[in-house]
Amino acid sequence: MTPDAPYAELHCLTNFTFLRGASHPHELVGQAVELGYEALAITDECSVAGVVRAHVAAKGQQLKLIIGSELRLTCGLKLVALATNRRGYGRLCRLITRGRRAAAKGGYSLTRADLEENGLEHCLILWLPGKARGTTLGPQGHEFEPPDPEEARWLEEHFRGRLWIAVELLRDGMDRGHLETLQRIGRDLTLPLVASGDVHMHIRARRRLQDAVTAIRHNVPIAQAGWRLYPNGERYLRERERLAKLYPRELLEETVAVARRCAFSLEELRYEYPHELVPEGETPASHLRKLTEAGAHWRWPQGVPPGERAAIEHELELIADLRYEPYFLTVHDIVAFARSKGILCQGRGSAANSRVCYCLGVTSVDPLRGASLLFERFISRERNEPPDIDVDFEHERREEVIQYVYDKYGRERAAIAATVIMYRPKSALRDLGKIFGLDPTECTRLTKVMQWWDGGDAMRERLREAGFDPDGPMLARLLPLAQELIAFPGFPRHLSQHVGGFVISEGALEELVPIENATMEGRTVVQWDKDDLNDLGLLKVDLLALGMLTALRKSFDLVNDFRGTHHALGSLPAEAAEVYEMISRADTIGVFQIESRAQMAMLPRLQPRCYYDLVIEIAIVRPGPIQGDMVHPYLKRRKSGEPVRYPSREVAGVLQRTLGVPIFQEQVMQLAIAAAGFTPGEADALRRAMGAWKRSGGIEHFREKLIGGMRARGYAEEFAQRLYQQMLGFGEYGFPESHSASFALLAYDSAWLKCHEPAAFAAALLNSQPMGFYAPAQLVRDARAHGVEVRPVDVCVSVWDCTLERRDDEEPVLRLGLRLVKSLTRNGADRLIAARREQAFDSVQDLAARAALDRGDLEALAAAGAFAALSGNRHLAFWEVAGTERPLPLEAALVDAPHEEIHEPTPLLRTPTEGERIVADYASIGLTLGRHPLALLRESLQSNRLLTARDLDGMAHGKPVRTAGIVLMRQRPGTASGVTFLTLEDETGQVNIIVWERIGEEYRRPLVESRLLEVHGELQRQEGVMHVVAHRLIDRSRLLGELITRSRDFH
Amino acid sequence: MRHRRALELPFQESTSVPGSAPGPGDLLRPISGRAAVSTRAPAELWLAVHLEESPSQPGRQDLERLGARAQRLTPRISLDPPDGLLLEVKGSRHLFGGVEGLIREMAGECSRLRMACSLAIAPTPLAASALARAGRMAAAPASLLIVTDPAQLIGRLSPLPLAALRWPQDTVDRLARIGVRTIGEALRLPRAGFARRFGTAQLLALDRLTGRASDLKDRFEVRARFRRRRELIYELESHAALLAVLEPLLEELGRFLEARQCGVLTLECRLQHRAVAPTRCVLRLAAPLADPRQLAALLAERLNALVLPEPVRGCELRSGPLVSRVLSSAGLWQPGEQGGGAAAQAPELIERLRARLGAEAVYGLRLVEDHRPEAGWRIREPVITASAVQSGLQNDPVRNALTKSQERFWTADAGPKGLGAGTKPSNPSLEGFPGRLSSRERVSGGGSPSWRSASGQDHFAIRSEGDNPGPWDRRPLWLLSAPRLLNERDGLPRRRGPLRLLCEGERVETGWWDGGELARDYYRAVDVRGARLWVFREREPPHRWFLHGVFG
Repeated sequence: MTPDAPYAELHCLTNFTFLRGASHPHELVGQAVELGYEALAITDECSVAGVVRAHVAAKGQQLKLIIGSELRLTCGLKLVALATNRRGYGRLCRLITRGRRAAAKGGYSLTRADLEENGLEHCLILWLPGKARGTTLGPQGHEFEPPDPEEARWLEEHFRGRLWIAVELLRDGMDRGHLETLQRIGRDLTLPLVASGDVHMHIRARRRLQDAVTAIRHNVPIAQAGWRLYPNGERYLRERERLAKLYPRELLEETVAVARRCAFSLEELRYEYPHELVPEGETPASHLRKLTEAGAHWRWPQGVPPGERAAIEHELELIADLRYEPYFLTVHDIVAFARSKGILCQGRGSAANSRVCYCLGVTSVDPLRGASLLFERFISRERNEPPDIDVDFEHERREEVIQYVYDKYGRERAAIAATVIMYRPKSALRDLGKIFGLDPTECTRLTKVMQWWDGGDAMRERLREAGFDPDGPMLARLLPLAQELIAFPGFPRHLSQHVGGFVISEGALEELVPIENATMEGRTVVQWDKDDLNDLGLLKVDLLALGMLTALRKSFDLVNDFRGTHHALGSLPAEAAEVYEMISRADTIGVFQIESRAQMAMLPRLQPRCYYDLVIEIAIVRPGPIQGDMVHPYLKRRKSGEPVRYPSREVAGVLQRTLGVPIFQEQVMQLAIAAAGFTPGEADALRRAMGAWKRSGGIEHFREKLIGGMRARGYAEEFAQRLYQQMLGFGEYGFPESHSASFALLAYDSAWLKCHEPAAFAAALLNSQPMGFYAPAQLVRDARAHGVEVRPVDVCVSVWDCTLERRDDEEPVLRLGLRLVKSLTRNGADRLIAARREQAFDSVQDLAARAALDRGDLEALAAAGAFAALSGNRHLAFWEVAGTERPLPLEAALVDAPHEEIHEPTPLLRTPTEGERIVADYASIGLTLGRHPLALLRESLQSNRLLTARDLDGMAHGKPVRTAGIVLMRQRPGTASGVTFLTLEDETGQVNIIVWERIGEEYRRPLVESRLLEVHGELQRQEGVMHVVAHRLIDRSRLLGELITRSRDFH
Repeated sequence: MRHRRALELPFQESTSVPGSAPGPGDLLRPISGRAAVSTRAPAELWLAVHLEESPSQPGRQDLERLGARAQRLTPRISLDPPDGLLLEVKGSRHLFGGVEGLIREMAGECSRLRMACSLAIAPTPLAASALARAGRMAAAPASLLIVTDPAQLIGRLSPLPLAALRWPQDTVDRLARIGVRTIGEALRLPRAGFARRFGTAQLLALDRLTGRASDLKDRFEVRARFRRRRELIYELESHAALLAVLEPLLEELGRFLEARQCGVLTLECRLQHRAVAPTRCVLRLAAPLADPRQLAALLAERLNALVLPEPVRGCELRSGPLVSRVLSSAGLWQPGEQGGGAAAQAPELIERLRARLGAEAVYGLRLVEDHRPEAGWRIREPVITASAVQSGLQNDPVRNALTKSQERFWTADAGPKGLGAGTKPSNPSLEGFPGRLSSRERVSGGGSPSWRSASGQDHFAIRSEGDNPGPWDRRPLWLLSAPRLLNERDGLPRRRGPLRLLCEGERVETGWWDGGELARDYYRAVDVRGARLWVFREREPPHRWFLHGVFG
């Protein structure tokens, strides 16, 4: 037997050709290595979205990676373009951008004219003959469209000398004829032929998945997908032995010849930062220095403290060494813009906590505020990766900032990073259910049952419960496919836009990475996500939206307006004891970051007393520290106060501030440096490996170095092992101190406002919805519990926002705003307010006529009970609203057409009952100022021996209890090993419920579906935290009747 | 508040005080306006039937079936789709022992048809159906659902929820918002104000409900079918005589259809015998037909094929449902193409073939998108009317994809001897085929651009002779109904000697989603006698060989 011919696959799609390719880039790379291919070209259809992952996977392997793309022109011509060098890659990216920008999201459109204009210089072209071969139409489709020599002639005219005819023999029964045809065309036009495989999957076992995603793409049941499916599973990376039997040897050898002409690697992408931020006559360094000096003077009007001065010098030097000035200037420019528009913003991230950023106004983490330790570490000389700064903006106004960036740099140079949307259990089951012919209700039922499925086998009982047969043929086929779709790292489904990661470049961005349209009008995204950008060392700035910044700005405005003060971000009285008192009582509904139920459970245990305690509090209630088992040791040491012994001074330096227990992500890196002798660059590589170790492994070779390094430095074997295990547990879930430090500032400011200005704070939160953990009902209830008087929505008084009214005793009173009224239009509300300003309303008819409100707005107001002052109860309000004339067109109304007043009697309508009022309140404004709905049900609940939240307060640890409440929240943290946390609310307060996995399985339907839930269980108390561990769950939603409650589900 | 005057009179007092007790002589007193309130005997009495939801939503057909049965109770019947039936029973109740008796009878009819229903009786049709629906909602005792005294009507209706009126949900919701949830509460609203807010249609509905306005209902009439029987005073054995006897019946059928501008798609002829069960002879037609001569001709073909067990003593014609006739069916068949005349003759030809060969023997084929050879086609009715062809071509993407020549029909028993007299096998390779294709082996057209006519001639559409063989050259016209296992030697298939494999394999791996997964390599092969076969080898062990088709 002759030795296998060498082979390079030149036409291979990954699953980043969404719903067509069926294998991950790393799988394809791995398999190509395994088969001894000389090279592999990743040629996703009009995309390079998968190449970075392939590039990372191919690093250090005996496999040459080629970057290219499959393109199908609108005329039907299909080709593969392969980049031979950086310029060719740039041309290809530009062409892809053109095609993508010319079509709606997810599609592309390219013509021969586009190709002529672009030229694709420095690219090699493979003609894919036969119009539909290998695309959406099945093979049967293309057989009526044999290879068209005209296409070859056109290509030959434009790509002479770098054009091949790709011969793809896929055993459809016509390979021989196809080959002969192409050979003849090749002879006629003197074009070389080359073998390729139209690869869609790395192994043939992916055939079912490939069929399934094809059906999903076409949105047809798989049984009707017909010729849209491939007839066989030949589109995989075939063994060279098989290829040798199928292809003439010279065609296989030609693949290698083609591959050898491609010399481009993604390593070559170099990145230049934008230059225009530097004024004429300045260098980036001198300009940054100037801005920093000015900022230092602003921050320290009495003069810069000497220590700080030296630190600033040190940082500037480092920045200059790495030539990062343009990056800092870019961030400064954006922040300065926001500031000039009065938009609150705050930076976070490693580089953000530098003195330079403090001086530039990017952050307000005052180095003197007990956090000076943070500044020692932000950029490393060796890491050679761009610094990372995230900037949060008010969520309602971030768009202004984004538009500013687009305006300033142009769409050619600025774009948002992509986010690859992966299949989750829900989406996988929904899509598969559809193609397996389930009707929509069955699909919903299936996804509901399986929404927390992790791909394991433990769902059979639930399936049976929901009326599915887990062993039936349909599920037996569907579930393995679903497993494949959700298996780590997740099968990509489409590109979406990242929440705010901006890429800004000096040159044309589209020569670096293709840009495509996003769903949102006027948005464009690049084809790479955040990880890809990081992997290639490209710069990005995260411009994020933060609801709390909106709420803080609105709070400051309300308070300053009411009291004539000048509060602003970072200027509130620092370290107020009463604020920490409140926090330690877990009285933190609405407070940034520490309002979740897990945080509230931690607060009384941790008892934060200073800013840095808040930094720890925010970082400790995270999957990393919890899984790494660091919470308990930390609390114990904090409580006992006994001195901690450290194995060395270096380790003490790293862990002292957290009492010897690593809590922050950075501490892990620092330990590697201090104890195991890693360089900062190596430590960062370790962090990234940990982030990805589940995805690609690769942490093992750090193990040797870590443990060996520690051993060499005289640390005990046991210490080294424990540290390594902690790192594994920590993984990617550790929270960085640099982010926590910035968040803690906002947490403190919001807590201060809640403590001292509860009315303004509640109003601001209501005016910033949706945000945070709590719905308006809980926010208002909490405000009232803190003594705030709340007044209802009233068409005679309310404006759009919630406002403060001045009471006789000069205290603020919260007046609910029209924004809470469901279905009321903003325009209608504005007209109402304008008409009222001219003259007070004297009847509903008067209001309807002068504000020119349509029936919808009037009914919305009536439903909210906002007409109470004009018409009495809701029934009467609706009667009057229903009787108003059909509204005239707006113009006619404005001309003041005389309208006839209709005189008619008022009917004797029944007064709404209290229950009806509460139902209506919830339905329209989402909260009630009347009694809690459970107060109405209390009698029947009591007869079932159900206790209130207040009853439970007085009970001892270990008591068996029964209670019931409206389900406010369900949380199932991915890391809590199947535990579900519930928060129930009744008229006396809230109760936290813990449902262990076994109970959750047993009472799955009530757990997932109840609005009003009865819980039997055991009361537990721990360091001031009370919860009920559930033994039994009963759905009592029917008692609520029509009462509309809204639970917020997080998982 | 302003703009208010004194209270307007509400719709009606909820309790009525009759001025004078009406005597038996008031029975015929018509309902008119408020006078009706004080009348004890109603002008009309309506029985409402409300069909309850069943797994299969009651359709109009169910209502019609029930209506047809109810005709024995009263001639005045109205359908109240989708799930109601109304009977005016004032005149007929005495015939069935009063209203209770009527209700029993009607309930009996429902249960005979296995329909779950609730029934109610009231002086107005709307009130009766509201009561019936409300009865279902509340599972009320039967006695509550009978209101014969108009004076009691409002009192009985008042507590019913508005949902019983089946008003638009939006109206019901808006009424609920002013606190009005029952019929009584709605009746208490001021008339003008109600009409302005909720529409005059709803006001009229309330007036009809209470009898304040009259409510005319469309009368339901049962649709007809033709059914005639003729007893003979002598016994018949000859087919020709039989036809003569049927002729007047067919004439009558023709007139019957003519009068209704209809045709039939099925026609059954039953021949009675002395001792054995009647012989049934059913004509199924591709297009609605009304012409008695055509029907006679078709019937003659069928009767000729019949073997009578005994002499005939009587006969009966029964039509299927009447169908409105399509007057033209032009376009598809070109003159002369189908061995004869114009387009209108195509259906006739099919009828003739079916009459001669049996209805199952003539069918159309259509291509199905599936890579599996055996799943790539399906039998369909050879309906060839202009409208059917048009709509078919418009709606069926598969057929749209086909060229016109592929939209043909095949005869099933088209094996060497499958066609009737006068046809000769025309395909030499079939003659030479050593195996025997039973008449049940089906032709897999697979959408081949070839079709077979009744005259036995094969017509082949022009085939592209390019370098790329089309898919239909790779796959044979003839498929066995199930693959047949082949012997093998040295891993190669045999059938009366070794088979020679002609060309490269075609790999088919698909169909995993419905349990019909296959993984095969197909080859064309030639046996020792030169017959060209289509064989495959399993991709999975034990890699057996099968014969699956025969090339023409």
